Amino acid sequence: MQDLVQLLLNGLSTGAVYALFALGYTLVFSVLGVINFAHGAVFTLGAYFTYFLIGGGAGANGLLAGLQLPFALPFWLALPLAGLMAAAVALVIERIAFRPLRAQGADPLLALITSLGAGVVLVNLIQLLVGAESYAIPTGSLGNLPAAIQLLGAQVRTVQLLLLAVAAGLVVVLSIWIDGSRSGKALRAVSEDPITAQLLGIPSGRMIQIAFGLSGFLAGIAGGLVGLSVSIAGPYFGIGYGLKGLGVLVLGGLGSVPGAVLGGLIIGLAEACVPADLSGYRDVVAYGFLFVMLLVRPQGLLGKVLPTKV
Amino acid sequence: METSLFVQMLIGALLGLSVYLPLRCGQLSLATPGFYAIGGTTAALLSTRVGALGGSDPTYPISSVMLEMLLAGLLCGLLATGIGKVVLRLRGVYLAIATIALVEILRVTTLNQESLGGAVGIFGIPQPFNDPAGYAVFSLAVLALVCWLCDRLERNRLGRAMAAIRDDELAAACQGIDTERAKLVAFVLSAVVAALTGVISAHFLNSWNARLGNFDASITTLAFVVFGGSRTWAGPVLGGLVLTALPELLRPVGDLRLIVFGLVILVGPLLLPQGLINPALLGWLRGNLPKR
Repeated sequence: MQDLVQLLLNGLSTGAVYALFALGYTLVFSVLGVINFAHGAVFTLGAYFTYFLIGGGAGANGLLAGLQLPFALPFWLALPLAGLMAAAVALVIERIAFRPLRAQGADPLLALITSLGAGVVLVNLIQLLVGAESYAIPTGSLGNLPAAIQLLGAQVRTVQLLLLAVAAGLVVVLSIWIDGSRSGKALRAVSEDPITAQLLGIPSGRMIQIAFGLSGFLAGIAGGLVGLSVSIAGPYFGIGYGLKGLGVLVLGGLGSVPGAVLGGLIIGLAEACVPADLSGYRDVVAYGFLFVMLLVRPQGLLGKVLPTKV
Repeated sequence: METSLFVQMLIGALLGLSVYLPLRCGQLSLATPGFYAIGGTTAALLSTRVGALGGSDPTYPISSVMLEMLLAGLLCGLLATGIGKVVLRLRGVYLAIATIALVEILRVTTLNQESLGGAVGIFGIPQPFNDPAGYAVFSLAVLALVCWLCDRLERNRLGRAMAAIRDDELAAACQGIDTERAKLVAFVLSAVVAALTGVISAHFLNSWNARLGNFDASITTLAFVVFGGSRTWAGPVLGGLVLTALPELLRPVGDLRLIVFGLVILVGPLLLPQGLINPALLGWLRGNLPKR
């Protein structure tokens, strides 16, 4: 019983990260039809922003060696702030890597390439500034909360519960916004048909910015939380998550918000079920799902079939 | 310029051609590093584990390298035929994602299989040439052969079918073009070119590990084609040569070099959506050069 609870919670908290990650991909994909490959770098940045905002110091290997902010924020404040900063970065990426191509009416696949370039630039910029070493956000930054609690006999890390709670909260808020608010409906209209939406007076450029900002915010928050859960393993930290996020995205269905959540949870749980002696192959789980899904049902579990353009 | 950098540039050009082949039918496949890795691993395993290939000379015989290339090419060609039949049903971003997944699955498997070198890799791959100049001549010969093949492909019926698929797959199919077959041929050729390059690379680098076929490599090889252009084979060749040399030439700038490299991928498509060697440039050349 306690093993099962342990497994379930491990899987769900990993899945929550994947879900947050894939939500960002999905938001951008639904309005632009393009995958933002710089998303992994934004996630990495979120982790670093959080680390520095809580008063962490830079190591000895980057240009910013020894730098420390003159203030130290509590984690609760640092995390959303890091999310906002990551959102700002995502907006800059939209401005540089996506908007000019859209203005030219270029092949959407080119945006995939420019976003890859933006990711490479960001990751190496991080490396240049703070070095390649790993940084740890101390679990003590959660204040008086205990490091782990007993739940149905299982030892559960508080960070895992926090990850789950934040992810669940963000998903609920996002769904309410998309389904209920005027701007959420506008976003959906743009994702259905950008040209018609524009004709109906919806500023599609603005909606695209909103999608990028939100996706950056989600990635930033996810990065900060994962940084707290495990340490920040250097500038390339987000790339692995970025690739797995693709698996989640395809499994759930490109462009589908509930799909991203479902896909994240399924892959997180599946990874948790990989036995310890095969743990090296854990990374294959997401890609395996992705592959099978692409072949059996390319639109994913909850995605719509895209009409073939004639 | 150092000769070993020149060899790396030639390898870059070959990888660029491997990405270009499927792109010629409008298929963005990022599988090149995967087949490159299979080629390299095949060469590394054969040359270090099969004693008979070494012969009695102190230098590794070139005929054995050719044999490795044959075997690696066959292996990747067969694999690509199987995989391509399934994967090429996907289009656009779906195909790109599927091929990324393929490369990652291969990488993780290699990393965890000690018999394939594991995390450490395979060392002491024997050298068929005593100096980089030998590799330069050999790679140049292979590159010339592949370029010639691509040139033929741009002129013959199959190649024109590929271009038609790129412009409009549905229209091409309506004209009676066997689109499945054309796409599969391009995918298989791409895999074979990548495999041959892997064999050369494994000997040249002297050691081989799973990192050589990772996601970064997918990005880099793609950049070659984006920078050079994918309308004709000269584009990826130029892209591979220049972009491989660029980070090395920028080495004095230190850590900035990869940032510059990323900026090229970021800004290149904005300034030159068709790549450096594009139809406008080719048209201009045709108008301004003396007729042959």
